[in-house]
Amino acid sequence: MRSRPRFARALTISVAAAVVVLALDGVVHVLMAQTPFGGPRPSPAEPQVGGIVGWLLSKQSEFYREMSATIRAAKSDGSAVWTLLAISFAYGIFHAAGPGHGKAVISSYLVANQETARRGIVLSFASALMQSLVAVVIVGICALLLNATAKTMCGAEKVIEIASYGLIAAFGARLVWTKGGGFMRALQSSPPVPALALAGHPDHAGHGHDHDNHGHSHSHAHVAHPGHEHRHDDHGHDHDHVHDEHCGHSHGPAPSELAGPGGWRRGFGAIFAVGVRPCSGAILVLVFALAQGMFWAGIAATFVMGLGTAITVATIAVIAVSAKDLARRLSGASEGGGALIMRGVEFGAAGLVLLFGVGLLFGYIAAERVTCL
Amino acid sequence: MNTLMRRLLHPLLLAGALALGTGAAQAHPHVWITTTSELVYAPDGSITGVRHAWTFDDMFSTYALQGIETKTKGVYSREELSSLAQTNVESLKEFAYFTFAKADGRKEKFQEPVDYFLEYKDASLTLHFTLPLKTPVKPRQLALEVFDPTYFIDFKLADKDPIKLVGAPAACEMKIQRPNDGTANAQKLGEQNFMGGDNSNYGAMFANKITVDCP
Repeated sequence: MRSRPRFARALTISVAAAVVVLALDGVVHVLMAQTPFGGPRPSPAEPQVGGIVGWLLSKQSEFYREMSATIRAAKSDGSAVWTLLAISFAYGIFHAAGPGHGKAVISSYLVANQETARRGIVLSFASALMQSLVAVVIVGICALLLNATAKTMCGAEKVIEIASYGLIAAFGARLVWTKGGGFMRALQSSPPVPALALAGHPDHAGHGHDHDNHGHSHSHAHVAHPGHEHRHDDHGHDHDHVHDEHCGHSHGPAPSELAGPGGWRRGFGAIFAVGVRPCSGAILVLVFALAQGMFWAGIAATFVMGLGTAITVATIAVIAVSAKDLARRLSGASEGGGALIMRGVEFGAAGLVLLFGVGLLFGYIAAERVTCL
Repeated sequence: MNTLMRRLLHPLLLAGALALGTGAAQAHPHVWITTTSELVYAPDGSITGVRHAWTFDDMFSTYALQGIETKTKGVYSREELSSLAQTNVESLKEFAYFTFAKADGRKEKFQEPVDYFLEYKDASLTLHFTLPLKTPVKPRQLALEVFDPTYFIDFKLADKDPIKLVGAPAACEMKIQRPNDGTANAQKLGEQNFMGGDNSNYGAMFANKITVDCP
């Protein structure tokens, strides 16, 4: 079988891809965590953990703990509302920088799907807005309308949480399927039927890009090296096949057909999967505000918190997208193989989304579970 | 295709597990609990259990009181809070009551809590409960830690008399280690963060450790 060595190659590249994608996410974490912040401690009262992680944690705790006092103060002093909003905003920013799967899922999705930085920003804001909305709706219905107990509310939160994790896993699985198809087709001569079925699927976000790359490397192969070099042999072979089966130069649906004019629907899965799970902190603040007769202030705080979160997530998303662009430019220099590597990266990122979903769902990331007391 | 998929996914799974491991280490607390505890001794000098009094922060206290019916607004009697106390101790079971005891290095197990009730004072709820040891122990050293491994809850020993020995032999000596005094903690965080792997015990670095040595 000619495709045997390709399997080995596929394996190598998938490992490489995983490493690259990990680096994207990891770089942010490691940079944040390793900055030698230890020297001058921000406050002598908070020397719990060194480094910027400890600083983030203590800052968050500070802001969060100030919220209850500020809401109380706002009852009699209107200007305290502004303080509350400022604290909420800062909390949102710090909150998203520390924990949370949202930024990881969104960044991975962006990398998998060759999205632009602008769309990354839109996705980050939309999912944060949805998170805030869900928190307000939960507390509005459970606490305000039904006067349900914390136990009931926390139960509802848990159900939504599981649903969200399930959605992320499903979303990731779909991405893997899409990306895996494209990736595999690039590596081996695949039977035409599944290839067609995949390409024909109306809302497979990644396809536009897949074919984009195809076109690119294809022309390279033809213009620069008409099948002389070994590296290009693989690719050329792949394309020959595709050409045979598609009769000429038809590469399946054009990118514009797949994306649709607005392209909004593409990212909706990501927004929904991430945004449906509210932040426990927001729920607590809302219930507290409600009990103080300041529900509106709680709602305002929740949305401002979401705004802060969105800014952080958007920043990380833009970093991820830029890193990938850089990687493409670098790998593109080595001609045909570059496209293959990029597709491997996308496949790896898709795999990460799936892993996040599965990991969250089955409790491997226990820290992100709501604790009901 | 199937074997290929598996071969492709395997390194990804490994890599992903690492990524998730590092990611999980960055939890943050949503609930703050200030603890005072008593170690209860039997007349023969063996330890029979731990009696906790945990005070929740005001935000969580308010949250927990949501939907609890009372005769007088803002006043909660022990009876009115009994069902909530029941819920609390039942929920705590899943987390092993966040209480970890070692007698001479050996892990000890607790029975279901007894004598539990909630008290509402100064806008805060305090949960009282007693955890009897499965079997009373009489170790040379008992180590008791109270913490949430996932750090959803931040446990803090009360500033004043966080731990009392009730009926302990006179020679017993008690030491309290708060998370703040260890420089080892920062290092531990570093290692846990970057070595990947098992981060499930992340909260341990915020642990409140009490040791009692009885010669």
